[in-house]
Amino acid sequence: MSVLQEIVAGLGVPNFGVLIPEIIILLTAFTVFAIELFSKARFLITVVTVVGLFLSAVSTQLISQGDLTFYGLYLVDTFSLTFKFFLILTAFFVVIVLRPYLESKDTYYGEYYYLMLFSLLGMMMMVSAPNLITFYMGIELASISIYILAGMFRKDYLSKEGAFKYLILGGTGTAVISYGIALLYGRTGSFDFATIADTITSDNLDVGAVAGIVILLIGLALKASSVPFHFWTPDAYQGAATPITAFMAVAAKIATFAVILRIMVEAFPFAYEVWNLGWALLAAASMIFGNFVALRQDNVKRMLAYSSIAHSGYILAALAAPTDAAFTALIFYSLVYIFMGLGGFIFLSAMERQYDWNNHINDFRGLAKRSPMMALFMLIFMFSMLGIPPTVGFFGKLGVFVALIGSDIWWLAVVLVVMSIVSAGYYLRVVIYMYMHEPVSKARFNFSMGEAFTLAFMATFILILGIYPTIFWDLSSLLSAVLMQGVGR
Amino acid sequence: MTVEFVNATFPIITISIIIPLLAAGLLFFLPERHAKPVSIITSIIVFVLSTYMLFAYDYSTYSIQFYEKYSWIPFLGVSYEVGVDALSLTMVWLTAVSFVAAFVWSTNIQKRIKEYFIAFLVLEAACIGVFVSWDLVWFYIFWEAMLIPMFLIIGVWGYAERIYAATKFFIYTFFGSLFLLIGVIGMYIYQYYEKGILSTSYFDLVNLGLPFKLEIIFFLLLALGFAIKVPMWPFHTWLPAAHVQAPTAGSVILAAVLLKMGTYGFVRFSLPWFPEASKYFVPVMFALGVIAIIYTAMMAIAQTHIKRLIAYSSVSHMGFVTIGTFALNMEGMNGAIITMISHGFTSAALFLAAGFIYERVHSYEIKDLGGLARFMPVFATLFMISAMASAGLPGLSGFVGEFLALLGTFKASVITAVLAGLSLIVGAGYTLWLYHKAMFKESELSAEKIEKWEKLKDMNAAEFLSFLPLVIMMFVIGIYPTWWIQLIEKTSAAILSKFIGG
Repeated sequence: MSVLQEIVAGLGVPNFGVLIPEIIILLTAFTVFAIELFSKARFLITVVTVVGLFLSAVSTQLISQGDLTFYGLYLVDTFSLTFKFFLILTAFFVVIVLRPYLESKDTYYGEYYYLMLFSLLGMMMMVSAPNLITFYMGIELASISIYILAGMFRKDYLSKEGAFKYLILGGTGTAVISYGIALLYGRTGSFDFATIADTITSDNLDVGAVAGIVILLIGLALKASSVPFHFWTPDAYQGAATPITAFMAVAAKIATFAVILRIMVEAFPFAYEVWNLGWALLAAASMIFGNFVALRQDNVKRMLAYSSIAHSGYILAALAAPTDAAFTALIFYSLVYIFMGLGGFIFLSAMERQYDWNNHINDFRGLAKRSPMMALFMLIFMFSMLGIPPTVGFFGKLGVFVALIGSDIWWLAVVLVVMSIVSAGYYLRVVIYMYMHEPVSKARFNFSMGEAFTLAFMATFILILGIYPTIFWDLSSLLSAVLMQGVGR
Repeated sequence: MTVEFVNATFPIITISIIIPLLAAGLLFFLPERHAKPVSIITSIIVFVLSTYMLFAYDYSTYSIQFYEKYSWIPFLGVSYEVGVDALSLTMVWLTAVSFVAAFVWSTNIQKRIKEYFIAFLVLEAACIGVFVSWDLVWFYIFWEAMLIPMFLIIGVWGYAERIYAATKFFIYTFFGSLFLLIGVIGMYIYQYYEKGILSTSYFDLVNLGLPFKLEIIFFLLLALGFAIKVPMWPFHTWLPAAHVQAPTAGSVILAAVLLKMGTYGFVRFSLPWFPEASKYFVPVMFALGVIAIIYTAMMAIAQTHIKRLIAYSSVSHMGFVTIGTFALNMEGMNGAIITMISHGFTSAALFLAAGFIYERVHSYEIKDLGGLARFMPVFATLFMISAMASAGLPGLSGFVGEFLALLGTFKASVITAVLAGLSLIVGAGYTLWLYHKAMFKESELSAEKIEKWEKLKDMNAAEFLSFLPLVIMMFVIGIYPTWWIQLIEKTSAAILSKFIGG
């Protein structure tokens, strides 16, 4: 009997059937790596990546029976499958706009593709983690790939600066997370969420438990770019190639929110007083800081980076209330933020390829005359981020708002409202420049099919969901129920 | 309050909301030359539909008619619920008429025609939606969605300071409506905890039976949202800026329809939802109303810019609506509603007149005018009728509403009625001065001016046609107000049922 056979005999064979999406992503990444190494066929790389993502997305929908596999280290349930699907979708949209952008900037590297796939794999592990170790592995895989991606825009000094900041601060973040995990392990003797939940209850919150939770929370806040741990965000977002920024601002964030929600709900369900207050403070700080600083930005990419900090605030605000409504609101907002965030950043990525475009607010002058369609898309994205109906951004904020008032957390609801008004200042500014100023240049635009499709898809979806958000509400409420069911599994 | 519903056999309200949206979507893909006919035809269809409703409406009892309800977001208890009572119907009809006038007038527009009409069509859908929604989430969606096109209309097609005015308008109203949202959600949550119902329907929230303290809080939150929209003193500062900078048709819609949303909110929501708080705040609302009436009338006298003058006069007229509403009796309520519709027609006509003068003379400054009547008699006549109706000459629409509102107020508080009544004189003063200085006052005429103005043409067909329905309605309401009062009588009684019993 070989060693392998002994293990199998002792523990049973892990259920690889539920891991097919991850396996496909991994194989695609290696295939892309090989193609990059031997042939450098750019079109082939894109096609292989897209096909891999497509197959993986389909396979997430084909898994009907979830499972806790790998000896309790990997959990596949509706929650993780749904988030995996949306993460893959995000990666898909980034991939189809990536090549024209990189070629126009003359910095094409095949590495972009497989690093993105590795990062995606890390995120998929994150959302599937029932255990602090799996979570840690996932977040490290995702982050390290992203550090490289952020710095790949080698000709640009800002890219190096941003990536380096991100590396240092992100590294600190993971260190802090591992410290938190160590403390929690010391306190509870387990990495498993369910065991931790059983051990830490509201009547035995001692220093060890609280310190563990708080330190873990700080590390997570850093990854979610929440104030005061946001310092890497504007630089890393501004420096990276814009499609990569979209990937960071959307996929990485969504995965982080999902994992934060899972850890809070499944590992600390009975210590909610601690994390409620923690997230409420972080959310308020993010909203206030993100919005006020965004007001002062003239570079729209940097403005959107600050606005994404503010959006972290809106989303995390839902964690101030330990109720079903709040978890649903968080999931709903995260899912719809995909459309707004991708829309905004991919708009910039498409525009940056145009002649004489530096993302400066002045470049937006008269855009409505130069390209009515693009201006309309950006208008929809801006009003959606601002939260004006009939766009879906309104329902995102509405959900959080209802959850907060429902739990009697009026102060945070008021902060949210006031900061929404402040945010009108900079979102409207983009609209004003597009529609109410005369164009300075008459140069024609041209967009690739992928860009046009992505932007049209995002704008349409924002409007459709803005009128009929029911499907997403039902989905979010289902996912929230799944999470709550998992408590004390 | 129990309400009867008459279900629509045909979704006529939904259709009148969807048609402008479809037309807007269609225009995006059509060449520019189709913009004007498509928009005008659309607005006429909506007008015909709303007129049909006006005549098909059974006003012998109070019921919500043409009622449609479909479940929409079950998770939050939201449904799509539309229908009209006489108040909504009045407002919808006013909206339809104003948009026909605005579109016909806009055939003179030259700049970025397609986008202009798309913005107005979207605006029309949102305005109708506000007045027919009985579900608070839908109400809020329409209430906010209206901001986007109006922001663009002021900002793109306005005059020199347009961006400042548009931003001010947007942020002011956005600020107010978010507090409205807090209030509504607060009530929704309260309802969930007290009654276990998850619903945003007006008819559930109206029977909430809030404790007095909460009534006060929610009343204030909602009132902030409505007061900014009305606008009531001291929240009125966005209005003159927006009016002065907006293009003519934008001013027309702003004055005729958008301002009514605020007073509609007070009548529709504040009174039936918070009867105790409404009674409690009557002195405050009277005070604010009277200040608005007197202060802004004084401000209007001091203005040299025609549109700014009319804007201030609007705030003043809305003051009558406020005091009429909070008189909390039938006369006051009828007066408020009649003033709302009458002000819709008169202010729309006055802004059209201002636009007309600007097209000819290229100035809004009163000092640049004088003696115009000699050169354009048709316009002078129509302008005269509108100005008189606005000033409250008996026989025209302005008189009926303000008289009833004052009568109602007199029953509630003599001093308020006296103060508000005195300001009618000021109102007559600035309107007549405006007319005198702009149209007569031939002493201002120099030889040079006469030579230049001799060439000016009187009204063209589009201008005349957009004026005409407004002027006709001023006479109709002025001479035979009984009809309209009968129409709204039962609705006023239903709205006031918590105050006067029955």
